[in-house]
Amino acid sequence: MFSKLLYRKRTLIARKCTQAKCHALSKQTLRLSSSSAPPGNILIQEDETVQHVKPYSEIPGPRAIPILGNTWRVMPIIGQYDISDTAKVSFELHREYGKIVKLSNLVGRPDLLFLYDADEIEKVYRQESVTPFRPSMPCLVKYKGDVRKDFFGTLGGVVGVHGEPWKKFRTTVQKPILQVQTVKKYIEPIEDVTKDFISKMLAMKDENGEMPSDFDNEIHKWALECIGRVALDTRLGCMDPHLPPDSEPQKIIDAAKYALRNIAIMELRFPFWRYFPTTLWTRYVANMDYFVEICTKYIYAAMERLKNKVVKDEKELSLIERILASEKDPKIATIFALDLILVGIDTISMAVCSILYQLATRQEQQEKLHEELKQVLPDPNEPLTAKKLDEMVFLKAFVKEVFRMYSTVIGNGRTLQEDTILLGYKVPKGVQVVFPTVVTGNMEEYISEAHKFYPERWIKEKCGNHYVHPFASLPYGYGARMCLGRRFADLEIQVLLAKIFRSYKLEFNHKPLDYKVTFMYAPDGELTFKMIDR
Amino acid sequence: MFNQFVNLFKSNRTSTCVKMSSSVNNIASAKLFHTSEGKRHGEYEWQDPKSEDEVVNITYILKDGKRVPVKGKVGDNLMYLAHRYEIPMEGACEASLACTTCHVYIQSNHLDKLPTPTEAEDDLLDMAPFLKENSRLGCQVVLKKEYNGLEVQLPQATRNFYVDGHTPKPH
Repeated sequence: MFSKLLYRKRTLIARKCTQAKCHALSKQTLRLSSSSAPPGNILIQEDETVQHVKPYSEIPGPRAIPILGNTWRVMPIIGQYDISDTAKVSFELHREYGKIVKLSNLVGRPDLLFLYDADEIEKVYRQESVTPFRPSMPCLVKYKGDVRKDFFGTLGGVVGVHGEPWKKFRTTVQKPILQVQTVKKYIEPIEDVTKDFISKMLAMKDENGEMPSDFDNEIHKWALECIGRVALDTRLGCMDPHLPPDSEPQKIIDAAKYALRNIAIMELRFPFWRYFPTTLWTRYVANMDYFVEICTKYIYAAMERLKNKVVKDEKELSLIERILASEKDPKIATIFALDLILVGIDTISMAVCSILYQLATRQEQQEKLHEELKQVLPDPNEPLTAKKLDEMVFLKAFVKEVFRMYSTVIGNGRTLQEDTILLGYKVPKGVQVVFPTVVTGNMEEYISEAHKFYPERWIKEKCGNHYVHPFASLPYGYGARMCLGRRFADLEIQVLLAKIFRSYKLEFNHKPLDYKVTFMYAPDGELTFKMIDR
Repeated sequence: MFNQFVNLFKSNRTSTCVKMSSSVNNIASAKLFHTSEGKRHGEYEWQDPKSEDEVVNITYILKDGKRVPVKGKVGDNLMYLAHRYEIPMEGACEASLACTTCHVYIQSNHLDKLPTPTEAEDDLLDMAPFLKENSRLGCQVVLKKEYNGLEVQLPQATRNFYVDGHTPKPH
């Protein structure tokens, strides 16, 4: 009882301080926008802004393709699907043009509007309808809705689907995958896979105690094995130390990576596939076909097994079974599993690469994590529980801080469904607004001492005077279209870090790596971590 | 070449599909398992209390101060119950803890009786507009007998969703 009260009080104080900071912050922002007005007169200032709405055409930005040169070819399409240097481009657009930047005259697509103002980002998120439009992956839309209409029918799934069909599908699947109480039930299976992964890491050590040069692929295998176990109740066998490169699990990984990493290239560099089948598009379709074929084989096998499975405890249900329990159409479960595998491998793997790299290159922080883990898990072989994970406060704060400074997803976005006034400009509906979270998460205005890697800012009783604007760093988005895999991603990362860093130390004794965007934003290079027993 | 591949794929797929649908029909009809989750999309809140023991009387206080007393029951979710009685409380993410559109203030002295918010709820509460010490997400409050007399107020939420006065309908 006492501890509950203490927790409550702590939380409330922290909330109060966040709130106060936010207010101070918005005042400051507004004052900046109209320096002649007396301070504190926020409402009047807001009204004035509305009266002096500037036209859309006046929004600054590189106007025509000749000025941009060839860089337009590698511009972010929207959200997280970008190529190589797009994180840098995103920072530069802000530096050069300010808080709102328009990219118009793009071939075959609506204008992109980059918004670097956390208050305005908050406004867009809050004003969205019950079916927010997340502009992403038009090539997947075409694949699902056109090329393979016979298979997907009206059930497009959740990725690359919009409006009512999206809503209907999301409603069916979101409870089992997002609700905290359900997700908790998968701690044990994820821990099992992770224990095997750590045994494999130990076996992979070379004579210097280092991981192999393709360690990132090993992380991808761990991620796929977790999905297989959680969604299909299947061990796909990715932890087999002798998994051949032409094995089916490896091919699933390669196909999923190909599908996601080519989206950006197809969307901006070669948008011609919209009009006629280009070579890249043909290859893309063939890759997707292969992916769908191989995954459905596993999914159908899982469903076949269900026939004979006697479930004694609700805890034993796979995600597919949970969906089948409330939704009798097996097609929904199949398509959902496909989406999960498609977007659940590369995303989480790249996040893990980034987090492990940050821990390995920040030994002091790694020590703090180890100390916390020793306290929560005095016996390293003790099984993890929801309660123990709750106590790993520093671990979670560290992950949040990596996501803030090196946001694995460099941005998110929405297509405006209504005309909206943003920073005093009237923006017409249909424009795609980009929220570059990798930039806003690093802006001093929204995050105090933004340049400093300081996980404690996320810990309520330790944050002191540090403020964080709640909409500045949103790696998973917010609202009805928040990342559906969020809780599983968080859980998988937490379990992996807890298991590795309780008993081992990772070092990175090579030249520092640069971050680059492939599909996600992560260190570019060989992750040859040295693994040392504690 | 490509067409050949596609045809191959198509034929494979058709055959597995047929096999699959028959097996899954078996599964569905066999009803090997049952979970309580199927009931938790707001349908439960539409059932009237079966006995007086189940009844939990609560009051919603609307933005304009109007008080709406509602006869709920043990196990009702505060947000879905509001939908049943057309209280303008939104729920964009359907209780999946992705938004803050069901934000409420616990006005009566029941705050300490409610379970501590989970970390996920707490994180979202930080994003709720007009946050107060007695803020909670309506979708996370499940009625218990001891909540009888509970009063919850909807926030002013001038920057929240539905600023145009549109009243959300139950989904």
